[in-house]
Amino acid sequence: MSRLALLALAGFLTACGGDLQAAGQKTLRIPIPTDGPKNLDPVRGSTMYENQVCSVIFEGLLQYKYLKRPYELEPALLAEMPKVSGDGKTYSFRLKKGVRFQDNACFPEGKGREVVAKDVFYSWKRIANKGNDPKSWWLLDGQIKGFNEYRDEQNKAVENGGKFDYDAAVSGMRLFADDPYRFELILVEPNPTFQYKLAMFQLFVVPREAVEHYGVRFTRNPVGNGPFMLRKQDHWTTAKSIWLYKNPTYRQETYPDEYGDDDKKAGRHKAAGKRLPFLDKIEITFFVESQPMWLEFMSNNLDYTTVPAENFAEPFVRRSRKLRSRWRKRGATGYAVPLLDFIFRGFNMEDELVGGYTKKRAHLRRALQLAMDQREINDAFYNGINTIYDGPIPPGLAGYPPNGKAPDSLRGPSIERARAELAKAGYPGGKGLPKLDFWTGQASQAKEQTEMLQRQMRRIGVELNIHLVDFSTLIEKVHKKQAQMFSFAWGSDYPDPENNLALFYGPNEAPGSNSFNYKRPEYDKMYLRMRAMSSGPEREKLAIKMRDMVLSDVPYMGSMARTRFYVVRPWLLNCKPAEVFAGWWKYLDIDESKR
Amino acid sequence: MLAFAIRRLLLNIPIYLGILLLVMGALRVNDPIHFRLSKNATPEEYQAVKESLGLDKSLLVQYWRFLTTLDLDTESWDTPGITVGEKLGDAVWPSLAITLPALILTSLLSVVIGLVSAFRRGTSIDRGLVFFAVVGMSVSFLVYIVILQYFAAFRLNEWMGKTLFAIQGYDPTQPGWWIKFCMLPVAISTIVAMGYDTRYYRTVMVEETTKDYIRTARSKGLPERTVLFKHMLRNAMVSVVTRIMITLPFLVTGSFLLEVYFNIPGMGKVLISAITAKDFPVIQGFTAVFALLFIATNILTDILYAVVDPRVRLS
Repeated sequence: MSRLALLALAGFLTACGGDLQAAGQKTLRIPIPTDGPKNLDPVRGSTMYENQVCSVIFEGLLQYKYLKRPYELEPALLAEMPKVSGDGKTYSFRLKKGVRFQDNACFPEGKGREVVAKDVFYSWKRIANKGNDPKSWWLLDGQIKGFNEYRDEQNKAVENGGKFDYDAAVSGMRLFADDPYRFELILVEPNPTFQYKLAMFQLFVVPREAVEHYGVRFTRNPVGNGPFMLRKQDHWTTAKSIWLYKNPTYRQETYPDEYGDDDKKAGRHKAAGKRLPFLDKIEITFFVESQPMWLEFMSNNLDYTTVPAENFAEPFVRRSRKLRSRWRKRGATGYAVPLLDFIFRGFNMEDELVGGYTKKRAHLRRALQLAMDQREINDAFYNGINTIYDGPIPPGLAGYPPNGKAPDSLRGPSIERARAELAKAGYPGGKGLPKLDFWTGQASQAKEQTEMLQRQMRRIGVELNIHLVDFSTLIEKVHKKQAQMFSFAWGSDYPDPENNLALFYGPNEAPGSNSFNYKRPEYDKMYLRMRAMSSGPEREKLAIKMRDMVLSDVPYMGSMARTRFYVVRPWLLNCKPAEVFAGWWKYLDIDESKR
Repeated sequence: MLAFAIRRLLLNIPIYLGILLLVMGALRVNDPIHFRLSKNATPEEYQAVKESLGLDKSLLVQYWRFLTTLDLDTESWDTPGITVGEKLGDAVWPSLAITLPALILTSLLSVVIGLVSAFRRGTSIDRGLVFFAVVGMSVSFLVYIVILQYFAAFRLNEWMGKTLFAIQGYDPTQPGWWIKFCMLPVAISTIVAMGYDTRYYRTVMVEETTKDYIRTARSKGLPERTVLFKHMLRNAMVSVVTRIMITLPFLVTGSFLLEVYFNIPGMGKVLISAITAKDFPVIQGFTAVFALLFIATNILTDILYAVVDPRVRLS
C-alpha cells in the first residue's frame, strides 16, 4: 500500500474514530504498571493501586501535605487537626461543614448529602464486620476502647443468624447529638502514630446509603466525597482501564500555599490558593507489560510514567541517576522517589541451628551477613538503583543512619571477617555446618537472585538448600515458624520508624508481623516506650538504640529499599510524585497548549 | 444420528465429572487463604476468610455446589462485586474479536498455500513456501509481538503522525475500532499459526495427490483446476474440518500474550490473572464451561465427518 493510501486510511480512521474528547477538557492520562485495582471498597482494599484510585474517590480525616518533605499530616475532612487529651488517649475531632458525598442514585433524588460524624464511625465499623472481607483490621485492632469487644459481639450475632448492628454503641466512640460534626475517640493506650492511620485509605469515609444500595457491588460502584468519581460502572474495565471524572460537588479545597525552594524552582508554587481539582478527567490505563506502557509514553499518550527497569538507561544516566540532557531539552522532568522499603533475608530466631541469642549463634548469623554482597545483587537485578542500608528503618525516616551506614555496620562482602565469624561459631570453613534451608517466593528473578546468594555463601563454605515456593506456601512456612531462613519484604504503612521496629516486638511473633520471632525483653520495653512517645529527638534516640540492638543480634541479613523513577511530560503541571501517600493526582494540572 | 449423539454424550458424562473433580483437587493442593490476606493478618482473620469462601466445608459439599452451579453465579474472589458468569461473559467477546478472524484467516490462507505447495511439489515455489512456514513457526510468538508492536504500531504511527494501529487498547465504541485495536493482534496470530497449519495442510494435500482417484482424474484429461478444487480439496476436507474443529474450543481461551501486550480485556488475561490470584471460582467456572465446549465440539466433529465424507458411518 502506498504511503498516500495509508495516510488516507489513517485520516479516515482518525476522523471517524479517535478520542471524542470535549473541547477545552483537561484530561490526565496516566499508567498503573500492573493489572490495577481489583475493588474500590476501602475496607476490602489492600494494594497500592487500590489506594491510588480510592484516594481520589474517597477522603479520610487527614491527608499528607502535598509539597512538604519530610512528610506531615494536615486535615482533609476535618476542620482542624484532632485535639489530643493530656493522657494521650482521647482524640476530639470536628468535621468541615458543607462537605457532600458525590451525587449518586443511592441518595434521594440522586443528590449527595452532607458528610457528618456518624459516617466516620459507620465506615470504621465496617472494618470490624468479617462479612465485608476487610483486609486491614490490624489498623484498629486493640486501638479503640471497646471496639474489639464490639467486633466479637457483632460477628457472633451474625454467626447466630442475626445482623451486624452498625448502630450499636462502642464505648470509645462518642457522637454528640447537638453537633453532627463533632466526635471523640478514646484509645486503649496513648499512641501518637494513630494519626497516620487516619490518613490511610482503608479508613476513608463512605456513605451508608451507597453500601446498602449496592450491597456487594459497592466494590464496583464507589461513592465517596473525593475530587473525582466513577460516573458509570462501565468506565472501569478490570485489568484494562478506568476513567474518573471531576466531582462537581467537591468541597472547597485549594492548592497548598506551603512549599519549599525546590517547588518554587519547579514552578509548583504558581497554583497556590487556586481551587481544586484542575482536571476534568483522569484516564488510567493498566499495563501488565512494560513495553506497551513505555511506547505509549514515548508516543505522548501518557502524561507521566514510572520508568521500567529495562528502559531505565533511556531517559536516565545509570551512574548519576539524572535525566539525560536530550530529555531535559524536550522539557521532560525526572524524579527519583524513594520507597519506604525493607527488603531482607530473615532468620527464624527459634530455629535450633541459626536462631537463638548465644554468642555462637550470633557469630554464625554475622558470618552469613558478612558473606552477602548486596551491591552485586543490586547491580545484577535492579540496575544498581536500589538503596542499600543498615538496620530496619528505611531511608527518610527518623533513625535511618547517615548515608545508610550504621556505626557497627556488618555490611558485606567481607569474606575474611565472615570466615573468622564462622570459625568462632564452631564451623571453620563451613565444616560441620549442615545445609541451611532458605525459603523464597516464586517471583520474577527470585530463582536467579537466590542462586546468586547461594554462590556468595559458598565463598565461606556455607551451602544453602533453596526452596522456591509459591507465595502462600512461603507465608505459611514463616507463620508456622518452619522456615529456617526466608526472603521477605516490608513496605511501611506510614512514615514512622515505629512501623518497622514493630517487626521485632516479641508479642508480634509469627503468625504476626515479627516473622523472625525475635524476642528481647529489653527491646520490647523500649518499643512500648517509643510507641507512646511523640516525635522528637528523644524518640529518635530510642529508635536508633533499638535499630543497633537488632543490627547486633542479626535476625536478618541486608536491608534494601527500592527507588521509583518517574518521567513527566512538560505539559503536566504541579507534579511532585509521592510513594508514601496517594491522592496527589488532585493537585495536577494540564497545559493543553503544550501537548 | 441422534442416537449416536446421545450415546456419545452419555459416555462423556463420567469424563466430565472426573475433569471437574481433578480441577477442584488440584486447586486445593496449596492453601489459597494466605494469598488473600494482608501482611498484618491474624489467625482469626485467616479463619474468617476460610469460612467466607466456603473452604471450611467438606470437599463433597464443595464439589456438589460446583456441579450444580458451575460456579457461574459465584462472586469472583479476586474482583469482588462481579460473578464468574459476568466475568467470563465480558471477556469472551474481546477474545473472539481476535481469535475468530485469526482462525478464519489462518485456515483460508493455509489451505490455499498448502494446496499450491502440494500441487507445485518440489518446485522453487514449494520450497519457498515451506521455508517461510518453517520460519514462521520457529520464531517465538513474543518476538513477533514485541517487534510488530514497536514497528507496526509505534514507529508507523510516529512516521504517519496518526494512529493507524493502536499500541494497545480495546474500545468497540469507537468507529473503526476493529482495524485500530484488533488488526495487528490478528495479523500476529495469523502469521504464527500459519506456519504450523500450512505445513500440516501441505502434508495432507501431498498425500492426496498420490492417491488413485487423482491419477484417474488426470488420466481422464480433467483440467488441473477441477482436479485440485473439485476432487482433491473435497477429499482433504476431513482433515481440514478436524483441525478447525479441534481449534474451535480454544477460541474462547483467547491468547494471553496478545491480550497482555495489547491490553485487550479478553479471556486469556482473565484466566492467567485468576490462576495467579488463586481465584478458584473463575478457574473452576471456566474449566467447567471449557470442558463442556470441548466435549460438544468432539461430538460435533464426528457428526461433521459423516457430512463431509459419506464413507464415514456413525456406528
